[in-house]
Amino acid sequence: MSSLALKHNIARRTALLVITILFLLPVAWLISTAWKSSDDIFSIPPGLLFNPSLTQFNSVFAYFDVWSLLRSSVIISAGTVVLSLLLGIPAGYALARSTSKAAIGFAYFFLAIRMVPAVAALIPFYLMMRDLGLLGTWWSVVIINTMLNTAFVTWMMFSYFRAMPRDLEEAAMTDGCTQLGSFFKVAIPSARSGIIASVLFCVMFSWNDFLYPMFLTRLDTKPLSVALLTAYGTKDITWGTLGALAHFSTIPIVLMALFLNRYFVQGATAGVH
Amino acid sequence: MAQITFDSVSKTYEGGYAAVRDLDLDIKDGEFMVLVGPSGCGKSTALRMIAGLEEITGGELRINGRIANGLAPRDRDIAMVFQSYALYPHLTVAQNIGFGLRTRQVDRATIDRKVRETAELLELTEYLGRKPAKLSGGQRQRVAMGRALVRSPNAFLMDEPLSNLDARLRGQMRSEIAKLQRMTAVTTIYVTHDQVEAMTMGDRVAVMNRGTIQQLDTPRALYDRPKNLFVASFIGSPPMNFLRGTVEAAEGPAVRLGDTLLRLDPRHAGLGQGRPVILGIRPEAMRVGGDSGGLSATAAFVEDLGATLLLHLENAELDIVPPNVAEDDVDLNVVRPRLRAVTEGTARIARDEVVRLAVAPEAIHVFDPASGEAL
Repeated sequence: MSSLALKHNIARRTALLVITILFLLPVAWLISTAWKSSDDIFSIPPGLLFNPSLTQFNSVFAYFDVWSLLRSSVIISAGTVVLSLLLGIPAGYALARSTSKAAIGFAYFFLAIRMVPAVAALIPFYLMMRDLGLLGTWWSVVIINTMLNTAFVTWMMFSYFRAMPRDLEEAAMTDGCTQLGSFFKVAIPSARSGIIASVLFCVMFSWNDFLYPMFLTRLDTKPLSVALLTAYGTKDITWGTLGALAHFSTIPIVLMALFLNRYFVQGATAGVH
Repeated sequence: MAQITFDSVSKTYEGGYAAVRDLDLDIKDGEFMVLVGPSGCGKSTALRMIAGLEEITGGELRINGRIANGLAPRDRDIAMVFQSYALYPHLTVAQNIGFGLRTRQVDRATIDRKVRETAELLELTEYLGRKPAKLSGGQRQRVAMGRALVRSPNAFLMDEPLSNLDARLRGQMRSEIAKLQRMTAVTTIYVTHDQVEAMTMGDRVAVMNRGTIQQLDTPRALYDRPKNLFVASFIGSPPMNFLRGTVEAAEGPAVRLGDTLLRLDPRHAGLGQGRPVILGIRPEAMRVGGDSGGLSATAAFVEDLGATLLLHLENAELDIVPPNVAEDDVDLNVVRPRLRAVTEGTARIARDEVVRLAVAPEAIHVFDPASGEAL
């Protein structure tokens, strides 16, 4: 390596390191808080060395039904993902293969739906759910999240299918598939990384969604994201409990992102135009 | 096995653009038919009509005597090889080849056997477990061939299957495909823009331009007796030279080109005195160093191709018409049309040397300047 390239490399790595530290500092703080005793949390200066204790986790399990919270989060996310893909993939495909010039306009219109501020939709949706008797159920959160995420999945899969050569489906049709068969047997498997990326986005959106479940769920159906807020007491904030509870809300997403990272990058960059 | 008939078939798009106009073509059972022409001539559209991938807006397409206009692609039992190969990226080579059999619910043992046989034939056995992304261009092309071959379909449709390969591999696959077709004797329709592929592979060749067939004939007949200027300029490489002149009767028919008088074949005796014509002379029909009575021109530059020399010649006296074919050097040729002549590689011809060219009267094609038809 020439000395110029070496310098360049060092500079780049240093910059990356600084940015990474900057982003990870709050996370590190959150994690350390959960493993400290209450006295250590507020020690000034904050100690880097401390005796890890499980006190915070014990109080989390004492005050929260963690399994019920986790269950709600999983049900809401899974329901949203399944419904959004079921609706969004065929819609994206249909738009991508449409010969109409309006198709691109439609696709971007769907993307625009995703950009609607959540609060704006909250009140009318709340009233609708009340009239339908779904208030307080997982369904209400799943439905509103599906609406927003389907719009996103449709746009994402539209870009993905458009970039995919039509030859593949035509080959499948001459190979004996019906049009529907070529969609299921060839188009969908070929779009696998796009679909996985859509799953990741949907899970992230609905797992982290706070506003809708806050107003639409009740005590036994509320997910982790809402429970985090209850760590805010009326007089003080139990930072340790918050940190411990945050573990449960963060780890699943981080794990998923780690395992599916490859598809995530592929899906987010391929074919988007 | 199939016989495929186009009966004044047309394809007009919504905007009014006609890709194919009143196409009449009868492809015999077991025949290797090549559709050749420049891009946009309608050859691919015609092919996709046979596959059922393109809607027919007029006329009738018959497969084995049965009208196929509205038949779904899967009901035609036709295999297609795409220019992009269109291999299924999520399946292995073996699954790609066996896909058509699987959708037709052939039993597993038969699929396995047929896939193995096909792979052996195409020398793909060691790659059967690989995904297409891990194959070279030539291997992908062979998988695409295998996918078509394995099914023993009614007909093979090939849409420029070799254009993504490098020149050496293309030459190799050209003879390979022709051999496979003779072996299987399955009706094959092959689309290409490459006249070398058309000449070497087809039993018959349909030269197309602007949605219609210009000439349908054997490769030899296309080369020897082109029906019009388009076919004359499209078939043959390097392309035919075209020269404007007027008919003049000496002892038998002849044409005046500037200072020179070129003798024509006696079959052209009926041409009227003073009639303007375009003469077509193939570069390989020009004999360099001929005796008096031929053309003379100055060598502008000489391409040494090893076995032969390709001479680019200039003569301000001659009214040279550029061939109306899209070629790499077409721009250069339109601005300053030159004569081209091919001679033995052993000849020593320098730049700016004046060359005499003799042309045998029977090698001269005569065309009507207005209609472009051969006379």
